[in-house]
Amino acid sequence: MDAVFSFINPCADHGSGGGLLGGVRVALQPNVAVAGWPAEAGSNALADFKALEDATIVKRLHAEGAQICGLTRMSEFGCGLDGSTAGQAVQAELADAEIVLDMTGESRLCAANLYAFKPSYGVVSRVGVTGLMPSMEVPGILAREPGLIRKLLQVLAGSDELDFSMPDEPPLSFAAQAVDPAKTKIGLIKESLAGLSGAQADGFAASVAELKQAGFCVEEFSVPDYGMFALARRVIGAVEASSCAGRYDSVRYGQREAGAKNWNEMYLRARGAAFGPLVKSLLFEGAYFQFERYSAYEAACCLRSRLVAAMDRLLEKVDFLAVPLRGQAAAEGALPLAETYAKFSSTLFANVTGQPVLRLPPVDSKGQGGVQLAAQRRNDGELVALGEYILERRGKGGSDGV
Amino acid sequence: MEFEAVIGLEIHVELNCATKLFCDCPNQPGDEPNLNTCPVCLWFPGAVPRLSRQALEKAALLCLGLGGELQKESAFDQKVYYYPDLPKGYQLTQARLPLSRGGGIEISDEQGVKRMLRIHHIHMEEDVAKLVHEMEGRTPISLVDFNRAGAPLVEIVTEPDFRTPQEAMDFLKALRNIVRCVGSSECSMENGTMRADANISVRAKGSDRLNTKVEVKNMNSVRHVGDAIAYEIARQVAAVKAGEAVVLHTRLWDPDKKATLPMRAKFEGPCVPDPVVPAIRLSDEWIEELRARLPEMPAAKASRLLAEHDLSARDAAFLSEDADLAAYFEALIAEGVAPKMAMHWLTTQLLPALKERQQDVSESSVKPARLAGLLNMLARDEINANAAREVLTALFDNDKTAEETVNALGFRQISDTGLLEGMLDEVLRTHPAAVADVRAGQGKAMGFLIGQVMQASQGKANPKLIKEMLTRRLAEQGKS
Repeated sequence: MDAVFSFINPCADHGSGGGLLGGVRVALQPNVAVAGWPAEAGSNALADFKALEDATIVKRLHAEGAQICGLTRMSEFGCGLDGSTAGQAVQAELADAEIVLDMTGESRLCAANLYAFKPSYGVVSRVGVTGLMPSMEVPGILAREPGLIRKLLQVLAGSDELDFSMPDEPPLSFAAQAVDPAKTKIGLIKESLAGLSGAQADGFAASVAELKQAGFCVEEFSVPDYGMFALARRVIGAVEASSCAGRYDSVRYGQREAGAKNWNEMYLRARGAAFGPLVKSLLFEGAYFQFERYSAYEAACCLRSRLVAAMDRLLEKVDFLAVPLRGQAAAEGALPLAETYAKFSSTLFANVTGQPVLRLPPVDSKGQGGVQLAAQRRNDGELVALGEYILERRGKGGSDGV
Repeated sequence: MEFEAVIGLEIHVELNCATKLFCDCPNQPGDEPNLNTCPVCLWFPGAVPRLSRQALEKAALLCLGLGGELQKESAFDQKVYYYPDLPKGYQLTQARLPLSRGGGIEISDEQGVKRMLRIHHIHMEEDVAKLVHEMEGRTPISLVDFNRAGAPLVEIVTEPDFRTPQEAMDFLKALRNIVRCVGSSECSMENGTMRADANISVRAKGSDRLNTKVEVKNMNSVRHVGDAIAYEIARQVAAVKAGEAVVLHTRLWDPDKKATLPMRAKFEGPCVPDPVVPAIRLSDEWIEELRARLPEMPAAKASRLLAEHDLSARDAAFLSEDADLAAYFEALIAEGVAPKMAMHWLTTQLLPALKERQQDVSESSVKPARLAGLLNMLARDEINANAAREVLTALFDNDKTAEETVNALGFRQISDTGLLEGMLDEVLRTHPAAVADVRAGQGKAMGFLIGQVMQASQGKANPKLIKEMLTRRLAEQGKS
C-alpha cells in the first residue's frame, strides 16, 4: 500500500504530450471523478464506487496534456484532514500539483511549505467533484510555485455548461501581470489576530514584515463580526451536508446492510455503517437545524450575507487582505466536530464569502502558520500575480533578514 | 345546523418537455424501467443539476394561460424527506419563491352564474421515481423505476374557494383545456399527467372560519375527484354532528369501495434553499415575448365563437375545449358551410368517424376543404344526407374531392321533377292503402311513401322534393 496515494495511474505516460500543462503531473483525490478510477471520496458510503465519467476539471487537464498521476488519501468526503495525505505528493515531488477540495480551508491548511490557492466560488466547475457543502466548496490547487497555479487556473477556470451553479459571468484572465507594491494596499483584520499562539503570531508577523519590506502599504482594519464566520459556516455547512449526504441511502449504490425489516431500518443501518464519527456528527447537526431549529439556519443565512457585505466593504478600501493561518494540520488524527472547526477557524472565512485566497508558505521554512492573502471575489488573477511577485522577491533574497 | 364545505385543490401537471427537469434524459416515464436515467437524475456523487430551459418556458406559459403573475425571481428549495422513490433525500421544489402567484379560472354553474376560482400560486418541481411492490417467492420486495425521477412538474395550488364537488370538477376540466391549449402538457388524469389532491374541511354555513382539513389523494379521473370530495364532505359532516374532531391527515380515495380511507398522518418535511440550482430571474422582455406566444385561451375563444357564429353557448364551449377542433370548425365556416350544419356534422359524423379510425382532428385524412365540399353539395341539395354520410366514409379512404367522389359513386341527387313524377305515379298506384292512410291523417304513411320513391330511385331522389311533390299530388287528388 502506497503511503501517499490510494490509487496510482497505471498508464504512466498518459497525458505527457503537448498543451499548456504538457508533462505536468497532477495528483487528485478520490472525490474527483476519473472514468473507471475509484471514487469513494474517503467514505464507506462509496466503497468500491468507480467513476462513470471524467469530471470537467479532469477533461480539461487531459486536454492540456497534464498527467494525472494518481489519487491521494483523503478524509471522509474531504471533511477535516484525518487520514488525508493531501499535499504530501507535491512535497515529496511525486506530483507537481494537487487538487484538493477546499470546503473549510483543507487545501490551505495542508499546504505546509507549498503555495495553496482557493479560487473564487463559481470559477472552477464542480461537475464530477464529490462534496458535501455546495455553496462553500471549491477545488483548491497546491503547487510549489504560484506560476504553476496560474497555468492550472488558465486550464481549469471558466464556465462549464454542465455546471449550472456557476454564475453567468465573463471569463477571468490569468495572464501574467505586473504588481506595483507602491500602489497596492493590503489590509489586516484586527479580529483575525486574536488567539494566535506565540509561534503563529511570529509566523504571521514575519509575513507582514515581508510585505512591508517589499513596499506594500499595510494597514489594519476592524471587522467586528469576524468571529461570527465560524458560526455561519458551522450552521449552513452542516445543513448543506445533511441534504447533500441524503443521496447515500444504499438504494442505487453503496453498501446495503442486511436484516432491515423496513425502509427506515434500511436507511438507519446503511447510513450507520457508511459514515464515520465526524461526518455523522456533522449530519446530525445539520438535521437538527433542518428539522428542529430552522430559524437558526435562517439566521445563519442572514449572518452570512452580513459577513459577505462586511468583507466587500473592506475590499473596497484595500486591494488584498492578509489573514493569519493557524498552524499546520499534519498528523492531526481524528478530531471531534467542534475541534475540527477550531482547527479551521482561520481559513473558513473564505468559504463563507466565496472569495479567492492564496496561502503563502511561511517566510521561514521552519516557521509555523504563515499568511493567507485574500482578494475580492473574481480577482483571482491579481492574487496569483501577487504570489508570483512575492516568490520572485524571495528568490532574489528579498525576504532576507526578516 | 347547515354545513358548507371549504375545498382547495393541489394539482400536479407533468410538462410535456423532451427532457427531465434537471438533466438531458428523455422525459418518457413509460419506457422500459430505468432506461431514462443518468448520473444526475440518479444523483450520483458529483452530479450537478441543470435546469431545463424548455421546462421553464412551458411552465411559464402555463402560468400565463392561467392568469398568473410570473415572479421576477423564483428559486428552488430542498423538501427534505427520506423515501426510496426520492434519489437524494430531498425533492427540488419552489416552496418559498414560486414561479407565479395569483391567477384563476372563471366557471359557470348550470344557471350561467359565473364564479372566479382563484389560484394561490404555481410552482415548478421534480417528480419522484415510481415504486413497484412485488413478491419474490414469499418475500415482499420493492422495485424502483427512476424513469420518472426528475420529470418536470408544475403544481397549481388554489385558494380554498370551492364549495361543491361540481366546482372542483368544472375547475379541473377548464384547467385541462387551458393547459392543453398552451401546449404545456397532455394533462390527462387517466394517464397520470394530471394529478389532483383535494384539501377539504367543513364549517357552519355562513362562517368564515377555516377548520382542520383532510387531504384526499389517489383520484384518477375528474369524476373520481367529484365523488371523493362528495364522500369526504359527507363523512366530515357526519363526524362533526357526532361530536367527533376532524384530525389533520391524508386519506386515499378507493374507487371500488367509493370511500376515502385513512392513509397516514400528514408529514411536512423542512424546506431548505437549494444552494446549487441558481435563482430564476425573468426579465420583462422575456415575459412579454412569452405572453405574445400565448394562443387564444378557451374562454376567449368561446366568447368569440358565440359572437361571430350562430352557435349555442354549449357548442361554443365545446369547440373551445379543443383548439384543433375549433380550428377545423372555423376552416369549414371559411369554406362557406353554415355554422349549425358544420357543428352538426362535426359532432355527429366526423368525430365518431375519427374515433373509429383512432385519428385526432389534427391528423384527420378528411381535411376541412374536402368536408366543406361535401357539406356545400348537401346544402345545395345536390346529394341527400344519407348519401353524404356514405361519401364521408369514402373520403376517408380516397384522396378525391367530395364532388369527384359523389360523381364516382353516382350519388348525385335526382331533382329532375319529370323523372320523379313517373316514380311517384308508380308508387301511388301500387300502394293505395298507404295513400288512404295519409289522407286519414296518419303521418307515418307519408314517410312510407317517400321511402318507396327513394327505393325506386336507388337512394338518389331528393327527399325534400319528393315530399313536396307527394303533398301536392295527394292534395290535388283529394280535390278531384
